[in-house]
Amino acid sequence: MPLVSIDMSAVFSINMGGERSLTVPGRYKEIKRICEFVAAGAAQAGFDEEAIFHLELCCDEASTNIIEHAYGGEDGGDITISYKIGEDDFTIVICDQGATFDPGLVPSPPTIDADEDSLDEVINQLRIGGLGLHFIRNLMDEVHFSSDRQKGNELVMVKKLDSKPGKETS
Amino acid sequence: MTVRQERLPQSDAWVIAITDRLDQTQIPKLEETLKVLLDDGHYHLVVDLSQTSYINSGGLRCLVSAWRRAKTNQGSLVLCGLNSRLQEIFSMVGFDKVFDIHEDCETARTQAKSKART
Repeated sequence: MPLVSIDMSAVFSINMGGERSLTVPGRYKEIKRICEFVAAGAAQAGFDEEAIFHLELCCDEASTNIIEHAYGGEDGGDITISYKIGEDDFTIVICDQGATFDPGLVPSPPTIDADEDSLDEVINQLRIGGLGLHFIRNLMDEVHFSSDRQKGNELVMVKKLDSKPGKETS
Repeated sequence: MTVRQERLPQSDAWVIAITDRLDQTQIPKLEETLKVLLDDGHYHLVVDLSQTSYINSGGLRCLVSAWRRAKTNQGSLVLCGLNSRLQEIFSMVGFDKVFDIHEDCETARTQAKSKART
């Protein structure tokens, strides 16, 4: 994989298949760089500003969950994000080497009424990353998660180039 | 991002205005501002999001926690000036039903001022 550029904390590369990749330390301040990296690719793929905003939000939420839950805080390890522009879709892969965090086990947020019990549940959901996953599930067309002791965790998010937000999740 | 706070004249209502991105790096600044106001017993708050371009679930968590605390103390936390993207984020998780959201910040300020008149 040819190395294109290196700065103090990030590694950026492009492989032969046209997949672009960025590795940054697992810190909150690096999430903006992840978002900008994906936004540039999404703009190149032809997404409009609204879709780019959705993609940035999904990458932000996924990266935040990695730092908070897989690494248990900042500086627990690196985050590698890559994207590939397909003929009719845009695929983002986010990898980490932290503890397994299976999004499939996190329930969707409860229906909200402005009553006390419902809000307690919602606030609890917010703490465990449930709302971030809710955004990802609602704004991407496909979401897949896998975990391997050697390879680490891998979250794959796919957005169709000509689609509205979908809900297909596995 | 900046977090600016302002006490409305002849009242105990405060406006907290947030600019740019409300993301994980900036949330502690907002949390601290809201905590200090609530700790000091100021329970009528207006959060002006008219200059806020981005919010994530951490930002929502921060706002809903402060809203809850204000409400528990017979106060209010209202939002105003959300752009269409922020409105979409709030409605996607049903928070548009929880918060009192005003399109126009002047209306929100007037309402908060009348609730918290000194």
